[in-house]
Amino acid sequence: MSLTPFAPSRPLSIGVELELQLLGCNDYNLVSSAPDMLRRIAKFPHPGEVKPEMTRSMIEINTSVQHEYSALVRELRALRDVVSDAGRFLNVAVSGGGTHPFQHWSEQKIYDAPRFNYLSELYGYLAKQFTIFGQHVHVGCTGPDEALHLMHMLSRYIPHFIALSASSPFVQGHDTGFASARLNSVFSFPLSGRAPFLLRWSDFEQFFGKMTGTGVVESMKDFYWDIRPKPEFGTIEIRVCDTPLTIEVAAAIACYIQAMARYIMVELCIAPEEDDYLVYTFNRFQACRFGLDGIFIDPRTHERRSIRDDIAGMLGRIAGHAAELGSTEAMERIREMLVAGNGAHWLRQAYAREHNLGDVMQLQADLWMGS
Amino acid sequence: MTWSSYLPLWPLSPSPALWLALSLVVAVLVGEALVRYARMPRIVGYTGTGLLLGPGGLNLIPQLPDAGWRLVVDLALGILLFELGSRVNLRWLKANPWIAATSLLEASATFVAVFCLLSWFGVPSIAAVVVATIMIATSPAIAVRTVTEARAQGQVTDRLLLMAALNCIYAVVFHKLAVALMYGEAGMGLIHSILPPLYLISGSALLAWLFGITFERIHHHVGRHEETFSFILFGMIAFATIMAATLKLSPILVLLAAGLITRYQRRRTRTFPPHFGSAGAVLVVLMFIANGLAADLGGLRSGLGLVLALIGVRLVTKGLAVLMLGHYSGIGLRQATALGIALAPMSSVALLLTLDTNALFPAFASGMGLILMSCIVILEFAGPILVQKALRFAGETPEDKV
Repeated sequence: MSLTPFAPSRPLSIGVELELQLLGCNDYNLVSSAPDMLRRIAKFPHPGEVKPEMTRSMIEINTSVQHEYSALVRELRALRDVVSDAGRFLNVAVSGGGTHPFQHWSEQKIYDAPRFNYLSELYGYLAKQFTIFGQHVHVGCTGPDEALHLMHMLSRYIPHFIALSASSPFVQGHDTGFASARLNSVFSFPLSGRAPFLLRWSDFEQFFGKMTGTGVVESMKDFYWDIRPKPEFGTIEIRVCDTPLTIEVAAAIACYIQAMARYIMVELCIAPEEDDYLVYTFNRFQACRFGLDGIFIDPRTHERRSIRDDIAGMLGRIAGHAAELGSTEAMERIREMLVAGNGAHWLRQAYAREHNLGDVMQLQADLWMGS
Repeated sequence: MTWSSYLPLWPLSPSPALWLALSLVVAVLVGEALVRYARMPRIVGYTGTGLLLGPGGLNLIPQLPDAGWRLVVDLALGILLFELGSRVNLRWLKANPWIAATSLLEASATFVAVFCLLSWFGVPSIAAVVVATIMIATSPAIAVRTVTEARAQGQVTDRLLLMAALNCIYAVVFHKLAVALMYGEAGMGLIHSILPPLYLISGSALLAWLFGITFERIHHHVGRHEETFSFILFGMIAFATIMAATLKLSPILVLLAAGLITRYQRRRTRTFPPHFGSAGAVLVVLMFIANGLAADLGGLRSGLGLVLALIGVRLVTKGLAVLMLGHYSGIGLRQATALGIALAPMSSVALLLTLDTNALFPAFASGMGLILMSCIVILEFAGPILVQKALRFAGETPEDKV
């Protein structure tokens, strides 16, 4: 099977996908209510899309193609409200966050759909351990070569996105010490990691052809890369973010990525290099483990600074681009997060106060549902 | 010194508690065997052992004083009712009024259908009213116990627990009213027909409310130590149960309302070990054994047809009512069917209400009381199995687990 041709899309358009947790209102454990929720949600008009995910205790909300922060937030709020209302009607709480703090993977049930059943068969318990919740951000690109260029340039800043969105410190009832423990589950998949260093779409098509030839993959969906091109949409898809605790943070991170993409395309006229990836896994690990306090090594200058400082520097450089895109408010939110901390910090504080992960989960759901 | 001063006399004369202890061991083993080989709920084994070893069966266990059993049953039921109440989210009724509608329709339809059936069989209408109110009840004990054991979660599970709690309230309150009517028929003044239900409701609500406040206070201080707190809670449940009985209130209503009120008032949910720890769990097992011991199938000889008709009508009415409103309340056909079936069990609450009626009206005890007892025994055995099958049918139990 050959690769879908790269569809044209409006440059710097964005789309957000959020995987959400469905919780029972008694113990705030995951509950397999996706079919009930989707049946209920289908009765009400709403923008974007609400879809099933791998296990029955998660659903995904997708926005339509958006261009600026205010409209993106408005659409995400509308989606949140329709999902929250369905949840209240069915006694199901809905929350953000990258992992459920105390669910047991073996109790998850695979959503009954051909692709999910296939994946479950192939990956075994990994599929159920994949009960993790991420935010995916699509960024529109003028053409395929531009998409590959943007993808490799953005790879340098993956730690920013991880540290800002990180909201999965607790797994299976324990504090992992990680800010984003969710990504550790992603790394166990054989085709995770980064895309090969190819800058021309024809080379990429050749690579894809060779991979399908080996029988290892069938489609782009089989690559669990941190950033991957999505030719059908004409976008690249950034997949490293945890689902943040609120839709406002989710929208702000999407707009941060958008402004950075504009900075890369319009102002920063340098080409990516394969050696940029020498520090890639180190930087990414630092972001997962320590969040905003992690160390960031600049791949070109080899300078060391905290991820927080690197983000602060970036905010200064992209302020003009953000203003052009109408997302100055989003940048303010990012700046606030540098001081107030990310979702993982909020969750650890809540746990220190409540001493009970069930209560933390309830607060997390209250925060997301806006009740 | 003689032989007899240090050797036991033959034949041995052990205390009746020995048989009780033995029956506990046997019942638990039978329960485990049922789970392992027949994938059936454990409580079927507990009740079955009681029935088999008790007066209704091999008569191996000598009759223990009723009061002793009654205390065990009251305490265990109190634990289960409080557990049920604290798992039910009353706010849900506001967010989804269709569930309240389903509950009201299902309960009133059951009452009407049972009443009509009995009238058609020529049962005096006052006795028919009493039976019809008792048959509204869906066993909270079986619902909680089976849900816990099956580790079920989902729409059918949540609705089953909520509707079992509501049915329990309807049954207790309207039963009191019906009994008052019976008194009226027996020539009591009007005042004695109206006051009992009023006293029951307000008194129980007050006691439950006090329980709720105390719960909050104590929880505030020792709530973090889950185990310690469950000991205290256990004592509080025992206290409230006995207090309710002393004040001639309904322990059933008090404990259920206490659970509901604490859940409603708490901003945060609190999860406890099942039955608040192993002491509670032992009492629950003993309660199901006691239910088996008390089982009386005498009504089958005189009124097999009526017993089966009552069970059938109750099952069909509850099922149809849930099916009718299922779509509006947000569940599919399969789930509505499962919920309708899961509402079938009858057990301790119905049993206690029947025993209370029997004690007040000997004529009832030898007539409709026997018929009702037979219904309860049958639904006590079939109930847990039906609930378990229904929850599996609805896909709400873990997949790869016995």
